[in-house]
Amino acid sequence: MFKKFELILLGAIESPMKRRMILLGTLVAFILSVLMIAPTKMVLAKMLPGKNNDTFTIYATLANGSSIQQTKRVTDCIVQHIQKEKEVTDTEVFLGMGAPLDFAGLIKGSHFKNSENVAEIVLNLTKKHDRSEPSYFMVQRMRPAVTQECGSIYPNTVISFVEPPAGPPVLAAIVAEIYGDNAEGIRTLAYRVSEIFKKTEGLVDVDVMEDEIYDTFEIKVNPTKVARSGVSVKQLNDILYLAFEGMDIAVKNSHVYNNQIPIYLSLSQDSKKFTKKDIKAVTMKLTSLKLMNKMGMMTPITELVSIIPKKSNPMIMSKNLHQMTNVVAETDMVSQVYPLMEARDAILNTFSDTYDIEKIGLFDLQLTDKQTGKVYKLVWDGEMKVTLDTFAQLGGAFIAALVLIFLLMVIYYKSYTLSGIILLGSFLSIIGVIVGHWIMNLFTADTFFLTATSLIGFIALIGISSRNSLLLIDFTKSLMDEKGMHKAEAISFAAATRAKPIFLTAAAIILASALLAGDAVFGGLGVALMFGTIAAVIASLVVVPVLLYNADLERHFNFHEKKAVSVNDPL
Amino acid sequence: MNHVKPYQPKDIAGKLAKTFLRNPLTMVLGIFLLAIGYISLSIMPREENPQMVVSGSTVIVALPGASAAEVEKVIVRPLERKLKEIKGVEHIYGMAMDNVGIVNAAFFIGEKKEDSNLKVYDKIMQNTDMFPKGIMQPIIKPLDIDVDIPIVSVAFFSNNKNMSKTQLYEKVKDIQHTLNGLDNVAVTELKGGNKHQFNIEVDLYKLSGYNLSMGQIVQAVQSLAYNVPAIKNRTKDNEIVMVGVQNAIESADDIGNIIVAEYMGSPIYLNQVAKVQSSYDIQNFKSAQISINNGDTEFTPLQDQVTLTVSKLQGTNAVVIADEIKTQLEELKETLAKDGINYVITRNDGERANEAVNELVFHLVLSIVIIAILLVLVLGWRESLIVTFTVPAILAITLFIAYLTGQTINRITLFAFLLSLGLLVDAAIIVIENIHRHYHSVESAHEDVDDLMIKATDEIGPPTNIATLAIIMTMVPMAFVGQMMGQFMKPIPANVPVALVASLFVAYIFTPYLALRMLKKPDHHNQKKGGH
Repeated sequence: MFKKFELILLGAIESPMKRRMILLGTLVAFILSVLMIAPTKMVLAKMLPGKNNDTFTIYATLANGSSIQQTKRVTDCIVQHIQKEKEVTDTEVFLGMGAPLDFAGLIKGSHFKNSENVAEIVLNLTKKHDRSEPSYFMVQRMRPAVTQECGSIYPNTVISFVEPPAGPPVLAAIVAEIYGDNAEGIRTLAYRVSEIFKKTEGLVDVDVMEDEIYDTFEIKVNPTKVARSGVSVKQLNDILYLAFEGMDIAVKNSHVYNNQIPIYLSLSQDSKKFTKKDIKAVTMKLTSLKLMNKMGMMTPITELVSIIPKKSNPMIMSKNLHQMTNVVAETDMVSQVYPLMEARDAILNTFSDTYDIEKIGLFDLQLTDKQTGKVYKLVWDGEMKVTLDTFAQLGGAFIAALVLIFLLMVIYYKSYTLSGIILLGSFLSIIGVIVGHWIMNLFTADTFFLTATSLIGFIALIGISSRNSLLLIDFTKSLMDEKGMHKAEAISFAAATRAKPIFLTAAAIILASALLAGDAVFGGLGVALMFGTIAAVIASLVVVPVLLYNADLERHFNFHEKKAVSVNDPL
Repeated sequence: MNHVKPYQPKDIAGKLAKTFLRNPLTMVLGIFLLAIGYISLSIMPREENPQMVVSGSTVIVALPGASAAEVEKVIVRPLERKLKEIKGVEHIYGMAMDNVGIVNAAFFIGEKKEDSNLKVYDKIMQNTDMFPKGIMQPIIKPLDIDVDIPIVSVAFFSNNKNMSKTQLYEKVKDIQHTLNGLDNVAVTELKGGNKHQFNIEVDLYKLSGYNLSMGQIVQAVQSLAYNVPAIKNRTKDNEIVMVGVQNAIESADDIGNIIVAEYMGSPIYLNQVAKVQSSYDIQNFKSAQISINNGDTEFTPLQDQVTLTVSKLQGTNAVVIADEIKTQLEELKETLAKDGINYVITRNDGERANEAVNELVFHLVLSIVIIAILLVLVLGWRESLIVTFTVPAILAITLFIAYLTGQTINRITLFAFLLSLGLLVDAAIIVIENIHRHYHSVESAHEDVDDLMIKATDEIGPPTNIATLAIIMTMVPMAFVGQMMGQFMKPIPANVPVALVASLFVAYIFTPYLALRMLKKPDHHNQKKGGH
């Protein structure tokens, strides 16, 4: 078999026609594979794909100012949906706080949750080996029904499905940071961006990280009246707090209980509830509440204060000393790159009515309000940013690897041409990597992404395929040197002899990575190695010999006298 | 044949082969390597994901009564500027709300945790004068992934209808103390549940009816609920007599019978204006519920639960701790059942890590077997056996070095092994293939076997060395990839080069050694020329 290969290769090397065809074919394959990524989107890029988990969490966030009972209504609704799922083993609801912290929650600020309008629901699923439906499909299936039914009970409710990340956790798949110097403008722009996100296909769980503004009442103290009635503002505050919020006024030590037992004082539930959410009801209630001064005189609170309605103060957020707001969205089983570009295009097209838009940086936008002249910036962050950074850094690592190998080869061979051939040969494995992803994408139910691990696989491949070429060149050299073979004969004989270990090691790599290919995170690496190795083998057994023949080997090998003795000893 | 001058190796490959070929200690070395590898595998801490060094601190400053805009100006902005001065801070997030300002400093990934925490603490403490008057003591909360993220969570719930809300909490609190005593457990916390408390719920209408103020009630209760130490006195014979004052409040009735005021000469008792109960913390809006699937979709209705979470100390074995917790709970199960308390383990990262690791170890073994079968088909079973032996030896060395450098066994480490598996059999395959070729070639039929082994190994030494170096070179830049992803992938550039170097040594030392003892020299007279 290897003998036959040797003859075919020899024929190919010696015919200029076939040589040209091989090189041309390689070039065409290379260009085609590169085209698969960029314009045609046949292979999609993503940092890390979804992972099949045994658990995930649902966050429910109601509008600020919602009560725990309202929150409970929403979680009860979600639990009803969960209870229809066969594969759920148990579910825990945490009202008014975050669930026990996990990796995703750490970045999403789950441990800071401490208010009546938040809840987290943990779902534990059956073991992934016994379950036919991966967790990410389950999330995708449950999401529309749950958000539609439970999210619409109260306005501005955001329900998001949080899966444990396959790799490092991020705030969200897509984060649009909106910078500016006035809160109102940021707010308007943020909500407009969120509207675009909601309309963009593939984006779900859209949330503006702004507090909703709701109605509140403020008690304004009349200083003269307070002074005259012999009470103090502190006393007034304390009594109000005591009456409606309640307070621990004393404690009792106990040997039975693990804590001191507080004695808690407050108005009774029935008597403290306002009848309605309006100023009249508030005033009515406060009339019954009285303060006692030092002389024992009683004064109703309403005598001392006036009550005015007002809007709540939303939280002011800043990042790196600049005021900003986040608009976040998750992606629904798609790469975040493409919805982002779509949303960005939509912003560019539709926002020009009120803003002058300018592109800054790679994807970021600067928006100037046409009327006020105020400047806002839209900066993309989140998984997208991490993906770009990681890909850029891995790209840098890749180039560094190429340079290092090139230098190593130059030191070893003392020839730029030979080192160049080795490098070129190993670079061709990219064809296999891309085509491999495309093939895998055809065979898998969901999208098979080109991920960060694919790039790592590709970088490793550079080393592997340069090894193949290296062994080939080394053997050719010793054949020409020691046995005095002709160039063409030596190359084809070396290729044929080295073919066996090359095939063997390639098979070892392919078999070892075949098991990787099934993994969610490292599938990209597995596929890159499998198909890249195949390409690398072809490159080092066909393309590299042709390139070698074209090079002036005698000179590069530093032979002093040319030996030209025909060879007929096959072993 | 002894009169033939022995082959002089030129490369390190041949030299190693020569040194170990007839050395009686080679066998011992092999066994030793396998042993340290196995020991490392069993004692190294196991995790699902690699440890990431993420440092950051959150500073919380409360200024009661200030609006969000005020907090932003007087607390958040000055604080942000100060934190900006710290080296290593990547991002600063500020949040100004009514009454409170929060500033979070996130350090670059990989910045040392202890140093970063200290820097933030120092900066705040050195600049306490920048805060406005009236603030409460600033709280500095460092982020600690190991301690903050629990590895095990257990939900306790009671099927006993008579059990009060607080009893469950108290029982779980006892269990918490027991579990906290286990080795390497860092933090245990409770979520959900209600604490015991005396509630005085005043009826607003009665309050105004009796013309009373809330302040009067506070004073009346506080004057009675007072704990004092016992009084010590002596008798004439110098004996000590202790006189203790009992806390006036023992039960809810005691509180209810407090006289809050006198009205027209008759006393007004607290229970006349308020409902006094010994019950749970009604002001606590937080709660936790659970629903369990009893098969198919037969869920139990939502019921109150208390979740106990346990986190571990850094660098300790999650699997061991989780198992200990499980056994401890198993022991308590019966006592709990008597009170009608059940529990469900709702998170077990130890088990998850162990499963992930075991699955990958299985994959690793499977890959080795597949490669061995492939080699049997192409090279023959003796050669295959030799190569297959080198794999565990190489992995053992790599594991041991990983153990020495303080790494843990996690998904990524094992992926690094799987990735290197394809690469590390190469050296051994190339050596054995060359030995095989020489062994079966007619030219070398007359040569000394020892010489042949050394020569075959030596011959492929330089290209193999340089090729392995080339692969190592590709891994080196990966170590400099920053951010979370770089941290996450770190085990790959950390372990693959080690495995590759180990593969060279093992291939040069053990392949010829084993080949010499296991391969049979073919009889060229009976065989067809050419072999395979």
